[in-house]
Amino acid sequence: MSVAAPARPDPARAALDARALAWLREPQWVEDEARFEALARDLFAFQFAHCEPYRRFCEGRGRTPSTVACWREIPAVPTGAFKELPLRSFPVSRGAHTFRTSGTAASSRGALHLDTLALYEASLLPSFRRHVLPHLAAGERATLRILAPSPDEAPDSSLSYMFGAVLRELGSPSSGFDVADGSLRLAALLRAFDGPEPIALCGTAFALVHLLDALEGDSLRFVLPPGSRVMETGGFKGRARELSRDALYAAIEDRLDVAPERCVNQYGMTELGSQFYDSVLRQPGAMRRKLRPPWTRVRMLDPETGREVPLGEIGAIAIVDLANTGSVCAIQTADLGRRVEDGFEVIGREPGAEERGCSIAADLGLARNSAAP
Amino acid sequence: MSAAHIRATLERLREAHAKLRRRPAREIVDALACAIDVWRDPRSDARRALAAGLPHATGFSPETVREGLERGFGRWRGDDLRELVAGELGPLERLDATGPSMISAFPVTTVLLAGSIPMPSLLALVTPLVLRSPVLAKPAGRDPLTAAWIARSIAEVDSELGGCVEVVSFAGSDSACVEAALEADCVVAAGSDQTIRAVAARVRPPTRLVADGHRLSVAALGPQSAKGSALRSAAKRLALDVALWDQLGCLSPICVYVAPASEADPAAEALAEALAEAEARWPRGAVEPAAAAAIAHERAEAEMRAAAGRRVVMHGGEGTRWTVVREADARVRTAPLHRFLRVHPVRDAAELLDALAPLARYLAAVAVEGFGDETPSLARALADLGASRICPPGELQSPPLAWSHDNRPLLTPLARFGELEAPR
Repeated sequence: MSVAAPARPDPARAALDARALAWLREPQWVEDEARFEALARDLFAFQFAHCEPYRRFCEGRGRTPSTVACWREIPAVPTGAFKELPLRSFPVSRGAHTFRTSGTAASSRGALHLDTLALYEASLLPSFRRHVLPHLAAGERATLRILAPSPDEAPDSSLSYMFGAVLRELGSPSSGFDVADGSLRLAALLRAFDGPEPIALCGTAFALVHLLDALEGDSLRFVLPPGSRVMETGGFKGRARELSRDALYAAIEDRLDVAPERCVNQYGMTELGSQFYDSVLRQPGAMRRKLRPPWTRVRMLDPETGREVPLGEIGAIAIVDLANTGSVCAIQTADLGRRVEDGFEVIGREPGAEERGCSIAADLGLARNSAAP
Repeated sequence: MSAAHIRATLERLREAHAKLRRRPAREIVDALACAIDVWRDPRSDARRALAAGLPHATGFSPETVREGLERGFGRWRGDDLRELVAGELGPLERLDATGPSMISAFPVTTVLLAGSIPMPSLLALVTPLVLRSPVLAKPAGRDPLTAAWIARSIAEVDSELGGCVEVVSFAGSDSACVEAALEADCVVAAGSDQTIRAVAARVRPPTRLVADGHRLSVAALGPQSAKGSALRSAAKRLALDVALWDQLGCLSPICVYVAPASEADPAAEALAEALAEAEARWPRGAVEPAAAAAIAHERAEAEMRAAAGRRVVMHGGEGTRWTVVREADARVRTAPLHRFLRVHPVRDAAELLDALAPLARYLAAVAVEGFGDETPSLARALADLGASRICPPGELQSPPLAWSHDNRPLLTPLARFGELEAPR
């Protein structure tokens, strides 16, 4: 039996990947606007040429590689489009992996098609290390307990893939996944809590709420070893009671004795190759804000005009991520944020906020795509 | 506001109930009918106060508020209330009767209002009073005016009855106050599914909970309305239905189904033109950044689907002020509201019904026109699906006073029924 060999990689794409990977793998993070500009525009030109729906979308907005003068003018694709269209800049035959957004029905789940996971890994590892384990020495490993399913159990979850890669590269032997078959494996986790080593407890916000509820139900409190930390990501989406971030962190401190300033929120999404983390462990004492890797740019856009809002004002978050070589590098989210200093904040809706009207349309499963991976 | 104050208020209202129940039902219903006639009059203090104050309090434009109040309250008559009572409860004497079939009120009813559209608030406060149950009303967080003006308008007609409405404001997050308010004998709660679930979890038996959940509406244009002047007329009226209350109400259509499918393009164009005209006449009000971002996102997504070769066309006004998206199919999609309308092609009435099936449990009203002889059978099928109103375009925001919002009677859920059996 013969198996058709995948088409050979496009040399132009291979060159772009090599340039991006070189940046992603540099040990020092250095801001370089000219480098970003050049790679972003080259990447846009490539994706314009190789992703047909994106090309038409850009043409509809009067933007082509010859008219786009800087990376800010690259048309951003709404995250919702990933639910509708296979946005790939490579031939279908080269598809190697598909990540899907969370959701119940296949039709409502966005899909990121990849021909290589090299850029995704090259981006996620230094970001995680820098913001969740900033003091980890070279060659050192940390105890990571993961409140998410393993990649084996959830092969289409980019978050599970990320945790799998982090565990493999940075986790000590006492690390592991604590969610299986959709449930918390509480016994193993509680044993880890009683151990001497600091723990990095990582997972989805709703899994953390389930953990905290379980601890409260059993009247359990733990004092995690000094140096422990929590990394959480994503929303609740009806999978747990909704909590504000402050309330979540207060509950974490109450049950696990991990202070809010050691809790790191990650802002990421399936449609992106890179993630953004709170600054609290990297820059203790400084204002909490999301920091970005130098191969990304985050802008806040006025939804009414599409123009960038001034520093400190609220806008819709738009991202250019040079790790997105296989799909589209410019993404428009429906999330709100505000730029602060050298980073940004994501503005969430307060749980329980009252609606102006009485239409249920906004509450229904008709809900738009959101940021959780 | 404190929990103790709320408990004291409930107690006072229970005492008021003891007096109120001694008054003939007819007197009470007449007084409330008079109050409804006050709300019908755009020159009344209550109407003028809302027309002046609601734009600032809620963000709706003054033009939208004025038109919305007229289309809502302006159509209600005091006699409609009398007809509602007679239709649901029979002769008024039944409320005063000593047997054999008796209707009683709960000693006190707490009404938790939601949203910022005033008409449902008036009904929510009036209906327990019809039965002579005094009301403790918590205004909606987004509308601090309406409940107080309703209480005032009733007091001006009948001061004792007005004293049976107490408006108490407290945050929905204030657990102690919520607990106290839920100690009434009957609780009427309006709000999202999440709000209703939260209230239901805290209401202790035997307190009766009457929940008015959020719903949605749609429109459907059939072959006789999908062309020419009939289309332009229907589009103009639908644009009014969309523009009023900025499409945030449960009677605001979130989408329009067009049969036959081949007429979806002209229908979308006509609706776009009509929404642009509506914007000039009744400008959209303030939009929060999250809503504006959702609209911009959905517009971009529609552009993207069009770019991918799908038969999708996006028509949009300046900024995010109004949007019409001609969809390629009848699939249910996100509804960002704030005057964002999708036009779905359907082959015929049968496909329309299939398309609505996923929305059935939340369906409030369907504006229908142009289905000719098929209309009665379509209306029946829509009612079977769960729609509680089937009306022409342009009438969605003018529900009859007796409209059964949640597919159930308005008064009987708030009443207690007793039967006197003759001794054998």
